[in-house]
Amino acid sequence: MAVPVEATDVVAPSSLDAAVAAFADGSDVTIVGGGTIVLPEITHGRVRPRRALLLGGAGLAGVRSESGRTTIGAMTSVADLESAPEPLGEAARHVADAEVRAQATIGGNLCAPPGVESPRGDLQAALIALGADVRSTGAGGERTEPVEAFLAAGPEGRLVLEVSFADPEAGASASVRRPHAHAYTIMRVCAARTGGEVRLAVSGAGPRGIRLKAAEAALAGGGDAAAAAERAVDDVTPQDDALASAWYRGKTLPVLVRRALNDLG
Amino acid sequence: MRLTVNGTEHDVLSPPLTPLLQVLREELSITSPKAGCQQGGCGACTVLVDGEPRRSCLTPIASIEGASVATVEGLGTPEELSPVQAAFHEHYAAQCGFCTSGFMMAAEALVQRDGETSREEVIEALSGHICRCTGYVKIIDAVTAAVNGDVDTARVEVDQSPRGDEAVTLIPGSPA
Amino acid sequence: MKAVGARLPRYDGLAHVTGRTQYVDDVRVHGTLWTKAVRSPHHSARILSIDTSKAERLPGVHAVITAADVPHNVYGHLEALGVPGDEPLIAQDEVRWKGQVVAAVAAESEEIALAAVEAVEVTYEEREPVFDIRIASDPDAPTFHQWGSTYPHFGPHNHRRVRKGDVDRAFEDADLIVEGVYRPQAIEHVPLETQVALAVPEPSGRLTIYTCTQAMYFSMGVVAAHLQWPLAKLKLIGGTVGGGFGGKVDTATETICALLAIKANKPVKWRFTREEEFLVSSTRAPWHIELKDAVTKDGWILGRRTLTLHDAGAYARFSPYGVTKHAFHHTGAYTIPNVRFDGFVVFSNRVPTTAMRGFGVTSVSMATEAHLNRVAEQVGMDPLELRLKNANRIGDTTGNHVVMHDPSTVVVTLAAADAAGYQLGEEYRSMTSERRTGELLPEHLVAQQAPDGDHLATYNPATTNGGAH
Repeated sequence: MAVPVEATDVVAPSSLDAAVAAFADGSDVTIVGGGTIVLPEITHGRVRPRRALLLGGAGLAGVRSESGRTTIGAMTSVADLESAPEPLGEAARHVADAEVRAQATIGGNLCAPPGVESPRGDLQAALIALGADVRSTGAGGERTEPVEAFLAAGPEGRLVLEVSFADPEAGASASVRRPHAHAYTIMRVCAARTGGEVRLAVSGAGPRGIRLKAAEAALAGGGDAAAAAERAVDDVTPQDDALASAWYRGKTLPVLVRRALNDLG
Repeated sequence: MRLTVNGTEHDVLSPPLTPLLQVLREELSITSPKAGCQQGGCGACTVLVDGEPRRSCLTPIASIEGASVATVEGLGTPEELSPVQAAFHEHYAAQCGFCTSGFMMAAEALVQRDGETSREEVIEALSGHICRCTGYVKIIDAVTAAVNGDVDTARVEVDQSPRGDEAVTLIPGSPA
Repeated sequence: MKAVGARLPRYDGLAHVTGRTQYVDDVRVHGTLWTKAVRSPHHSARILSIDTSKAERLPGVHAVITAADVPHNVYGHLEALGVPGDEPLIAQDEVRWKGQVVAAVAAESEEIALAAVEAVEVTYEEREPVFDIRIASDPDAPTFHQWGSTYPHFGPHNHRRVRKGDVDRAFEDADLIVEGVYRPQAIEHVPLETQVALAVPEPSGRLTIYTCTQAMYFSMGVVAAHLQWPLAKLKLIGGTVGGGFGGKVDTATETICALLAIKANKPVKWRFTREEEFLVSSTRAPWHIELKDAVTKDGWILGRRTLTLHDAGAYARFSPYGVTKHAFHHTGAYTIPNVRFDGFVVFSNRVPTTAMRGFGVTSVSMATEAHLNRVAEQVGMDPLELRLKNANRIGDTTGNHVVMHDPSTVVVTLAAADAAGYQLGEEYRSMTSERRTGELLPEHLVAQQAPDGDHLATYNPATTNGGAH
């Protein structure tokens, strides 16, 4: 008879309130959303959860669109975002493959730690460009903050509840093409115009999505796409990893910024 | 917890975070889904969960309580192949065979979908599946044929005594 | 001949499409234990101590083995061919590559086996590793292999040599010399089925081993050698391989499963994770290939000098065989009358390398074909026409003194050109594989030609200048 090394206490709340209560301050809790990142960690013994919170039945999935604002529940699958406003839809369509997209969630994408040899979180640039807010709970109660602030603070001790943004007038993105469905996108630049203001962000140029403020400022100052592209690398410090070299990223980023802005019109 | 696999209901005893793949293979001895990578990257463990293709290695069983799971064992038999199986056989889409179950279950989900499916849609739907032997063309041919009903099991000369499945004699004392 | 041109069903096709093919991992034997390995975290290090006592005391752990448990630890994959052994099954005193097995455990679940691996305490003293085979033989490069920086047992030589004709003269006579360096990389085979074996002790005292090996009898010999058992006590069951591509020629898991099964007296299975398959299963070797061709301005290749470095990784395994095949193919499908080939098997602190789809050949083919394009460019000739001119023909002698009696270079090249819609000059389109005459038999090719009618016999190297070593 096999002796379990350490039994895991698994909670599967069937309502939002129950999920919030079970999460409490998040200490010692491993969240299992879609499971696409955490299950392999458990299988290979790299994560041994003491308490696990399964969110599938907690009612956190779904996309609402009302009064010009889109609200996405944390457990909404990436597949369900494929038709979301651009540039989020485009980014979602290029995450992994059909089966993984059906299981992976937007909450997981926001909380994804960088992989061993590559950045993850392919949706982050799109959400930054859209000026999205993240509503989360945990120690100190509920909190709503810009996605950049959430990413900067890190997901530790937070349970993401939903993500929302004002529907943009226009959205566009440009990326280095993935060699195949199992590759992370090397880099994706997302651009969105909301209330007349253009926001720009990149995924894949660092451990998390990064807002390209210098390039935005060049645009706000009357510059064109080429002028913004010249400032593309000001906010990033590209790194070498298994997907691409820092040099390659540095050379490619301005091109992607220019393409995304030209597409944005 | 309860799980229906290929129409048969099972009481599953594995702990709740156990991946469905492990439950199928180790607890229920349903071995067509393969442990190719156990990290969602190869597609060989793909099964249908309530009709949708899923990576069984990424799915904790507690998240699919009461679901209906379908594997290749539930498709057809050597004497009566399902359309997807017949198409794979006819088009030589299986070489070493290790990735075949995952491809076939993804294909089965496409077959069950309504409407026309183009070759490009087939390629997109199979893009998460890795085959190292065939170079994919024969697999895409087979699935395109299967989803568009271009399968005639009579075209496949059925060998009633396949030699591939008799290589192993079970050890005395092992479950049949 | 009913099979030729017919569409026959695959003999294993129905089993494959019905999910009934039984791979090793699908075999179910009651009470099977899981194996995990303690692996070196360093590329090169001395082992100062190994303490397995905590792992052995863990509930659910049935066996832990180290080098001390292996009856005959150091063995060579090519011992049957007279190549001495150099590789321990389990590291003893030192580790030479990151991932080398230091100990192995068998436990009642994968989870317990992982915990047992963590409980094994090993201390190391790290050494500077060597990864660049170009500097491995430098006087100040770190050395770690008992044979030095290169494999030394090629007959009387310390490397594989091929000699034919008068290379120095060819280079003196050349109109131009074309040089190139080619460096094919390491490649992992990535079979969908990772390395796996299941060893089952039988009541008779024999051991049944289910294996994914591509080389059944070979693996049986390796297991028997390490165990010091007669072959009659081993029963290996295989033949159903979930992809191999050369990567399942090395005996990766069988022997350790066997030792654990004997020690625990229980069935033991070891299935590599995908990560192990990538990081520690053997790969195709990286190579460093330098080619230098003596060429005339009308596109004849008079001579070739080749220096090849083959990255064996930390132990020899099949590398001497790979570099020999490489040597055999180093003139490609072309007739070069004067050659000097020197191929070294160089040791590095990488995972040992192995066969993959045309062991030793694809690397040299890539190099020689790329090089021919370079030659054509420098001579100012069409690259296919250059190939057709120098292509092997009946009666030609290869660099290894083998007489061609049915070479296909000309017909295959013409067919490929035709299929691709590639335009060739009339004199090239009408070429055949027949014996060289007229303009296709310049003076420098006369001596290498076997006598007419004699081309089915083995050419006698004694009648030519030099020979293969």
